[in-house]
Amino acid sequence: MSKAARTPLRLHPAIAVTAICFCIALLIWKLSFADPHPIPFSITGQACLLIALLLAFRYWPPMIRWVTRMPIAHRVIFALLIGGMIAGHFTLNTRKYFPLVAWEIFPVAREEDPVLCREMIATTASGKNVRLLVEQLIPSIVQFDLPANPDATERLIRVLAKIYNQKHADDPVQQVDLMVMAVKLHPSTNESRTQPSCELLKHYDISSAR
Amino acid sequence: MRTSQALRHLIGPIELLHEQAGPGLLRLTRLGIVALWIGKLLLDPLWRLAEIPRELISPVGLLALLPATAVDQLLTPSCLTAFLVLTLFVLILCLTNRAFHLTSTVAAILLTIYSSLIRSFGPAVHTDIVPLLAVSVLAGFAWADYFQVKFGGGKPSQSKTWSSFPLVTIVTILCLSYTLVGLNRMLSGGIHVFTGDTMEVWAVDASLRGYYFNTNIGWHVPEWPLVTLMLRLGLPFITLFEMTALLCLVSSHYRWIFIPTMLSFHLLSLVFMNIFFFDDMFLYLLLIDWSRRYPILSAR
Repeated sequence: MSKAARTPLRLHPAIAVTAICFCIALLIWKLSFADPHPIPFSITGQACLLIALLLAFRYWPPMIRWVTRMPIAHRVIFALLIGGMIAGHFTLNTRKYFPLVAWEIFPVAREEDPVLCREMIATTASGKNVRLLVEQLIPSIVQFDLPANPDATERLIRVLAKIYNQKHADDPVQQVDLMVMAVKLHPSTNESRTQPSCELLKHYDISSAR
Repeated sequence: MRTSQALRHLIGPIELLHEQAGPGLLRLTRLGIVALWIGKLLLDPLWRLAEIPRELISPVGLLALLPATAVDQLLTPSCLTAFLVLTLFVLILCLTNRAFHLTSTVAAILLTIYSSLIRSFGPAVHTDIVPLLAVSVLAGFAWADYFQVKFGGGKPSQSKTWSSFPLVTIVTILCLSYTLVGLNRMLSGGIHVFTGDTMEVWAVDASLRGYYFNTNIGWHVPEWPLVTLMLRLGLPFITLFEMTALLCLVSSHYRWIFIPTMLSFHLLSLVFMNIFFFDDMFLYLLLIDWSRRYPILSAR
C-alpha cells in the first residue's frame, strides 16, 4: 500500500476566525461580570465587523505581496502595533492602557434637556467679566471637568485667578462666581434664547484671600 | 459592458498606498511628525500643571504605575520644565537621524509620559494619540531595520524598499482609529445616536464648556433648524466614512472623497464644538501617494 502523499499542514481561515471569535466570546463573558458591564452584543458586533474588514485585507493580493516582502522583524512590529491598538480598543478603557485606548467619540445617545454646565465667571478690578477656562489658562490640559468637591473647586478657582492675574497685573480678578448655565434644546415660544440662563452657585472673593 | 467600464472608472485604481515609497518620503515623514511634536511642546507651558491641586490628578497609563511620591515630584515647576526641555532635546536629536532607533525610542517613551501627564487632569481625550503612536511606529520599524541589517542577513541596499513599512503602518493606524470610532458608535450607541437630539446635546455641551478654542457658537445650534438638520444628517454620513476609512489604504478615488469630507467634519467640530483635531489633520498629508506623483520619493 502506497503511502499517501503528505500535504503541508495549513491553518484554514475559517478555523482561525472561529478561534478568534472564541477568544472574543471568552473576553465578553469575563467583561460581562464587570461593573458597569458592557453590552456583549455591541462588542461581538464590533469584533465581527472588524474581523471581516481585516480578513478582506488579509486576502487582498497587494497586501499579501506587501506582507510577504516584509522581513520577520518588521512583521513582528507591524503585528504588535496593530494588534495592540485593537486589543486596547476592546479593553473598553480610555485611561489604564493609554495610548492603547478604547476609541469612542459620540458613542452614546444623549437626550438631556436642558443641557447644564458649570462656569467660572470672574470680575476684574475694572468691572470687566471674564470667563476662567482651565484649558486656556493651563493649555497643556486638553479637556477638564470641574470637580464635584467644593473645597477642590475653591482651590482650583484661586489657582486660575492667580494665573490670570500674572498675565493681567493691571486689571486683576477680584471675585469669581461659580455659575450653572442652562440651554434648553426645545424652549417654549415665549422664552428668550439670546443668552443661556444662569444661576449662581457660589461667590468667591479673591482679593481678600491674598 | 459599458456599465462595468463606468463602474471600473468610478472605483478607480486599487493599489496599496505608499507601496512604492522610498527613503526620501520616510525621511520627510519622520521630519514632519517630529517637527509637529516639537511645535506642540514649544507652545505648551507645561510647568503650570504644578499649580493644580493634587487631589484633581487621576494618573493615566504609565503614570499610574509610578508611586504617588514620584508623581508628586514630577509635578513641580522645575521638574516639569526639565522634563519638557529633555523631551525637546531628544526630539531635536531625532531630527539628526543619527542612531534614530535609540533616539526615537526614548522620544516615544517621553512623549507617552507627556501625553499621559496632560490627560491626568481630565478625560483621556483622543487628540494626538495617532501622532503619538506614529512616533512608536517610527521607533519600532527603526529597530526592525537595525536588527534585520545586523542579524537577519538583510543588506543595507534592501532597506530602500523597507521604507513603505512604517508609512503604511502609520496610515493603517490613522484609518483604524476612525474605523474603531465608527464601529463603536454604530454598535454601542445604536440607532438612537442618529435619531434623537444627541448631536445638539454634544454641540451645546461642548460649546458651554469652552476648551482652548472657544468659538461660543455651538450653544446656539438649537435655534438654527438648518444647522441642526445638517448635524443630524451629517452624523450617519460621517460614521459611514469612519467605518470604511481603511479603504483609504487601497483606493485613491475613495481618498479624494474621504479627505475633504473628514476635513469639513473636523472644521465643523471646531466651529460648533470647540474641538480641533489638528494633529490628525496634519497626518492626512500621508493619505496622498507622494511616491507615485514624485519619482524622487519612490524606492525605484
